[in-house]
Amino acid sequence: MMRRAQSALFFGLAGLLPALAVPSSARADLVYVLNSADASISVLESTTKEEVRRIPVLREAHHLILTPERGELMVGDSGGNELIFIDPATAEVTRREKFSNPYHMELSPDGKLLVVTSLRRDQVDIYDAATRTLLARLKVPDKPSHLAYTPDSRIAFVTLQGVRKLMAIDLVTYKPLWTAEVGPQPAGVTWHNGRLLVGVMGSDHVAVVNPADGKVERTIFAGRGAHTVFPSPDRKLLYVNSRVDSRITVLDGETLEPRAHWDLPGGPDCIAFDPRGRLWVTLRWTGRLAIVDPASGEWETVPVGRSPHGVFVQPRAAPLPPLAVSETAPPAEVTPSPTSAGTEVAVPAQQPAVWRRMLGR
Amino acid sequence: MSTIASLYAEATGWIFEHALQPLLYALELMDWAEDAYAWLDFALFGLFGIAVAWAVCRPLEAWRPVESVSQHGAVRTDMLYTFLNRLGVLPLLAFVFLASVQAAWEGWLTEAGLLPPTLEELAPLLRDHPVLAFAAYVVVLDFGEYWRHRAQHAFRWWWALHAIHHAQRQMTFWTDDRNHVLDDIIAAVWFGGIALLIGVPPGQFPAVVLILRLAESLSHANVRLDYGRLGERLLVSPRFHRLHHAPLSAGAHGRNYAVLLPIWDWIFGTGDFRRGVFPPTGAPEEPEALASGGWLRQQAIGLRRMVGAIGGR
Repeated sequence: MMRRAQSALFFGLAGLLPALAVPSSARADLVYVLNSADASISVLESTTKEEVRRIPVLREAHHLILTPERGELMVGDSGGNELIFIDPATAEVTRREKFSNPYHMELSPDGKLLVVTSLRRDQVDIYDAATRTLLARLKVPDKPSHLAYTPDSRIAFVTLQGVRKLMAIDLVTYKPLWTAEVGPQPAGVTWHNGRLLVGVMGSDHVAVVNPADGKVERTIFAGRGAHTVFPSPDRKLLYVNSRVDSRITVLDGETLEPRAHWDLPGGPDCIAFDPRGRLWVTLRWTGRLAIVDPASGEWETVPVGRSPHGVFVQPRAAPLPPLAVSETAPPAEVTPSPTSAGTEVAVPAQQPAVWRRMLGR
Repeated sequence: MSTIASLYAEATGWIFEHALQPLLYALELMDWAEDAYAWLDFALFGLFGIAVAWAVCRPLEAWRPVESVSQHGAVRTDMLYTFLNRLGVLPLLAFVFLASVQAAWEGWLTEAGLLPPTLEELAPLLRDHPVLAFAAYVVVLDFGEYWRHRAQHAFRWWWALHAIHHAQRQMTFWTDDRNHVLDDIIAAVWFGGIALLIGVPPGQFPAVVLILRLAESLSHANVRLDYGRLGERLLVSPRFHRLHHAPLSAGAHGRNYAVLLPIWDWIFGTGDFRRGVFPPTGAPEEPEALASGGWLRQQAIGLRRMVGAIGGR
């Protein structure tokens, strides 16, 4: 009896050990990285910084967002014409959906619309966010790249990388409101304090643009190849990445004055923030992910896949359980996206049925 | 393997950041940065391909040559062809051109309510087995190459260009790239077009090219080598392709057109599987300059003859 009690005590204490060994503040956030030239998604654990999953995609994933109900991660595979849905807490692929060339995509602030740029097809698509029904497809000038909204969700702004311009699109009429020149190869566009901040990649600055008419009101030096502006979670700071000078410039969120810059070799691109406030930055040209401490500007890097682009941090308290190899294969089932409700707009691409028939002969 | 991948990523990253990207920035072409980064793989794979072909083929040629090399000038011309071709200038042009065509083509398809397919969608098994998918793409592209090669011999205007390749009497592994520039462009458009049509993943494309190019270099090598009764049916050997380069095989009477897999010749009745036959090569009916002239002269003659063939002369 005594021996059994001792055993019970031993195993009971042993069961407590893992909990005792991990401080209560320890985290195991999951970091999702889209390897655009590797047709895969790396999933890293933030504590160990090790890759715990590698999810294959068809071709070329660039950007990702949470679904309107925020329950799933929606990854756009622009080359594969697919949306991949992932449970962000478990890194499991839940389903795939045929979708026309999703490059950059964002939900409107009211969550009702999903606007998607098709960089290589010169199209901007406006969808109903909940059903992903195509509402309008706009043929636009060369290389629609990134997009942003007004806070009231009335207007979307799209950079047109090949023609030095920014376009405003009325989300009620689905018609362009204005198109204005902002500088060579504009890339990211961000709404901030009533102004648009456009990364002018063919130059060395961020253009501060009046959203009413597209006029450039001032420019802020950020290093050659200025790409995108990312506000900190409290919006007190803005981080600007620059591809050519390979640096991040820190701007004051109120005055837009530069406060610091950190050299970060490798071509910094997208930025995500973890619950500790650290920046997770994809480095496009070296296949690495940088983790930057915003207090000191110090950084370290970890390897991911080729040309990492979009990045997302999912808060998580406990490490992901080990994974069997067979579980890494995603479900092969692809569901067609819903049909278009619009009558004047071309029906969106849905399925490869015609190809199946043609190639099946 | 991950160390090699890391080193490769570091090296390409360094080259891109310090050489290519500043150039793109200076030329106001930053919107082509991602394409240039992809092209860098082509150029490096091209160089790597030359190095591997040399490392594999040169010892074989020294070991059991079919014939001794007496026309060194002709071989040097072939080397020039190889470096011009594989340093990626032509693939770059084809890539830029095809990227634009692809955008227009896919845009048109989506307007028509279609989405371009991928082989993985047609055969879902491939989605979960990337190596199998890669093999499937190689097989489809190799099949396309077989038919392109047959067309090069079947049409008079195309043969006028392709004859440059066949005129070489001193065939070595360098001979693979001895082609008219126009012929190369057509080949790049053909190959790239099929790749886009079946949706070859861009990341796999350089590897597919590398494999096919290595097989082609080896098949041109000056080496008395066949792969045995079974192997000759599975892979194109130096023996198999040398027979294709024999004078009697020139023009529309060609045999052994396959690039990687002889099965196509087997299926379509164009295969010659006689082992132990290593005939001399060349195209005696063609102008001598195509065999022994310099690069520029061969290009000029090829173009003139092609125009003549189109004009019915």
